[in-house]
Amino acid sequence: MRRRARIAIAGLALAATMCGQQVSYERLVNALKEQQNWLTYWGDYSAVRHRGLNQINTGNVKDLRVDWIFQTGQTGAFETTPLVVDGIMYITGTDGYAYALDARNGRKLWMYKHTFPQGRKATAVNRGFAILGDRLFMVTPDANVVALEAKTGKLIWQTEMAAYNRGQYTATLAPLAIKNKIVVGISGAEYGIRGFIDAYDAETGKRAWRFWSIPAKGEPGGDSWAADSWERGGGSTWLTGTFDPVLNTLYWGVGNPGPDLYGESRLGDNLYSCSLVALDPDTGTLKWHFQFTPHDIHDWDAAETPMLLDLNWRGKPRKLVVQANRNAFFYVLDRETGEFLMGKPFERQTWASGLDDKGRPILTKDALPTEDGLRICPGLGGGGNWMAPSYNPETNLFYFALFEQCEIYYSNPPLYIQGRPYWGGVSRSAPGEEGWGLLKALDPLTGETKWDFRFFRPSWVGTLSTSGGLIFGGDEDGSLIALDARTGKNLWHFNTGARLVAAPITYLVNGRQYVAMPSGAALLAFALPEPDR
Amino acid sequence: MRYLPMAALLLYPAWGQTELDVAQGKGIFRNNCAFCHGLTGSGGRGPSLISGRFLHGSTDEDVKNVIRNGVPGTTMPSFDFETAEIDHLVGYLRTLAGSAPKSAPVPGDPAQGRQVYLRNGCSSCHRIGMEGSVFGPELTRLGASRSPDYIRESLLNPSADILDDYQGVTVVARDGKRTGGVRINEDTFSVQLRDVSQNFRIFQKDEVREVIHETKSLMPAYNSLSQEDLQNLLAYLVSLRGDVNAGAHVNKPEGVR
Repeated sequence: MRRRARIAIAGLALAATMCGQQVSYERLVNALKEQQNWLTYWGDYSAVRHRGLNQINTGNVKDLRVDWIFQTGQTGAFETTPLVVDGIMYITGTDGYAYALDARNGRKLWMYKHTFPQGRKATAVNRGFAILGDRLFMVTPDANVVALEAKTGKLIWQTEMAAYNRGQYTATLAPLAIKNKIVVGISGAEYGIRGFIDAYDAETGKRAWRFWSIPAKGEPGGDSWAADSWERGGGSTWLTGTFDPVLNTLYWGVGNPGPDLYGESRLGDNLYSCSLVALDPDTGTLKWHFQFTPHDIHDWDAAETPMLLDLNWRGKPRKLVVQANRNAFFYVLDRETGEFLMGKPFERQTWASGLDDKGRPILTKDALPTEDGLRICPGLGGGGNWMAPSYNPETNLFYFALFEQCEIYYSNPPLYIQGRPYWGGVSRSAPGEEGWGLLKALDPLTGETKWDFRFFRPSWVGTLSTSGGLIFGGDEDGSLIALDARTGKNLWHFNTGARLVAAPITYLVNGRQYVAMPSGAALLAFALPEPDR
Repeated sequence: MRYLPMAALLLYPAWGQTELDVAQGKGIFRNNCAFCHGLTGSGGRGPSLISGRFLHGSTDEDVKNVIRNGVPGTTMPSFDFETAEIDHLVGYLRTLAGSAPKSAPVPGDPAQGRQVYLRNGCSSCHRIGMEGSVFGPELTRLGASRSPDYIRESLLNPSADILDDYQGVTVVARDGKRTGGVRINEDTFSVQLRDVSQNFRIFQKDEVREVIHETKSLMPAYNSLSQEDLQNLLAYLVSLRGDVNAGAHVNKPEGVR
C-alpha cells in the first residue's frame, strides 16, 4: 500500500515534470526539424547554422527592414546568440544580465541579473543560453554556471566552476545541454589558468565530470610539458562544442597554451592545447584528440567551431568534423577516429610550408615570434576565429568569416601575478599593412574557395545560411549584410550603428520569418514589410 | 660548495632589481610602451626615454605617476599596473637612461621659426589654437606629445609615419574624375573624405570606379629649407605646448540672480 502510493506520487511528479518540459533532449537531437526555432547556441548539435526558411530570399531581401528593437541598456560587446522556442526569445547580455522576450515584438517577459560577490568586476561578455526541459542555463563572468526557470527567470541553482581568483578564471560561452547534463568550458589562458571542460547535472547543479584540457605530470600527455609548466598551461575551452548523438561523442576545441607568446618555459607539444578533443559525454573520457598547432606561440587556439558534416568523402559516405582554424588552415577529420583527412590554407600564411601526412605542420624558418619582433601571417587573431560558420546542403558550401592580416609578433619572458595578463609578448599590425576581412565560400571536400566577399576591416561576425539562397553576415563597422549564397553578390546591407560581434540567427513566428542580430546595446529583429509576404 | 643561480643574486644596487626583474620589466615595456617609445626606448611617436631626462619629473615616483595617470592633452594613456609590474618597468627604464648622450635643448629661435612656419604656408593645412586649417594634424600641443627627432623626421620625410586619422585617399569616379583628401571615415560600403579646402567629400563605393589608399603622406617633404630655417622651425614646433581647448569659450555659471 505504502509502496503503491509512493509509485503513484512518483508518477504524478513525472507527469508534472513532463508538462513543464518545454525542450526535451529529443527535441534538441532533432533541432533541425524545427526550422521555426533556434534551440541551441549553434541552432542544433552539428553547428551547420542552416535553416530551411525561404520567406526572405534572393528576390525580396532588398526590402528587409528593422521590425523591432530591444534595448538592454548594458554597455560592452553584445555577443549573444538568441534561443527561440515557440515564439519566446531568450538572450543573455553583458555583466550577468539575461532576458526573455516576445519574439514577435521584442517586449520583455522577464529579466535576470546575476549577483556578484563584492569586489568582482562584471565586464565580461556572454554568448548565450542553453535550454533543457523548462530550464535555461548560462555562465557568468565570475565563472559560475546558473540554472534559471524558463517561465520566470528565477534562479534554481548556481555552481562555481573554479575559484574566481581576481578574474583569473572567467566564463563566456553558451552551455551545451546533452541528455541530463550541462557541458561548459572555461576562459582565462591569458591569465595562467589550467583549463578544463565540465559537465553538471541539470537537475542539481552538481558536477558530473571534469576533463582537464591540460594533463598533469604523469597523466597521458603530461610529458608534453616541460617541468611544472602544465600548472599554468592555459588551454581555455571558451567556445561551445558540438555533439554527435549517434556516435555519442562530444567535440570541443581547446585554446592556446600559456603564456601565449613565450614558449621557452613550456617546451614540448603542450597537449591538449590547440587541439580538438572527442569526449564521451557521459563520463568526460577522452576518445581521441587531434592537435592542429603543437607548441603554439601565436595564440592560435583551436576554439573555432568543430562543425559535423556527413559527406561523400572520396566517393564514400563518411562522418566528418571540419574546422577553419585560427592558424589559417581548413581541416577535415574523420569524427569516429580522429584521422586526419585534409588540411589546406585558406589565406596568406607564412608559418608552415605544409602539413605532413598526419596533419602535423612543417614549420618555415620564419614561423616563430622573436624578442625583437617578426612579421608572421596570419595575425594573432587568425585566420579563423570564433565567428560561427555555416554549411548550406543545397550549395554544398562552407561559409565563414576570416581575418586577412599579418602582424609583428614579439616574444618575451612574462611576469606571473595572479589575475594579471600572462602573455609573454605582444603583436602589432605590420607598418603600412592594413588588414581586412573576408566572408568566404569554400568547398569542404577540396578546400577550394568558390567566392570571397571583402570587408573593409577584419570582422567578428559569424554567418547564417538559409534556403532563401542567402548568406547573412556582417562587419566591424556595423553593417549587417545578405549575400547570394551561390555567387557572393551583395544583395542587401543595413548600417546598425554599432560594431557587430556575434552571428545572426533566423526564426519564424506566426508565419513571419525574422533575422535577429545583436548590435551595440540592442537586439535587432529584421523582417519583410507585411504586404510583401 | 654549490653555486646559487646568478640571476637571483645579481642585484642592481641602486634599485634592488634582479636581472630577471629587469628582463620582465623589458617585456612589460615592449608589450605596453614600445609602440610609441620605440623597441629600445629611443623614441617614436612618443618621446625618447634613453636620455635620462624626463619631461614630467625624473624621480621614480614622478615616472610612476606619469605611467599610472598618463599625460593630459597627449596620446600618453594611463596604465593600470600592479606594484611589482611598475617597479620592474621603472627598473628597466633606469637601465636605459644614460645609454644615449644627454640631449641638449633644441637649438634655434622659436620666434624666427614661427616666421618660417607662416612663410611656408604650413597653416594652410595645420592648426595651432584656432588659427589655420584642419586638413592636417593639429599642432597646438605638438611639443608636449612628440619628440624633436620625430618632428624633424615628419618635416623631412612625412611618409615615414602616417597617422591613421590622416590617411590619404583618392576616389576615382566612373568618368575618371579623381578626388583626393584625408580619410575621415570608411567602411565596406562608403568612404568620407575632407578635401584640402576643408569640405566633406562623400562617396558610396558601388557608385565609383576605384578607391585608392595612398601610401605616401599628403604632406610635401620640406627638405629644401635652409639649415637655419629648419632649426628655427623645429625650435618653434617643439615650443608648442598650448592647451588643446585654449580657443574654446567656457562660460561659467554666474549664480542665481
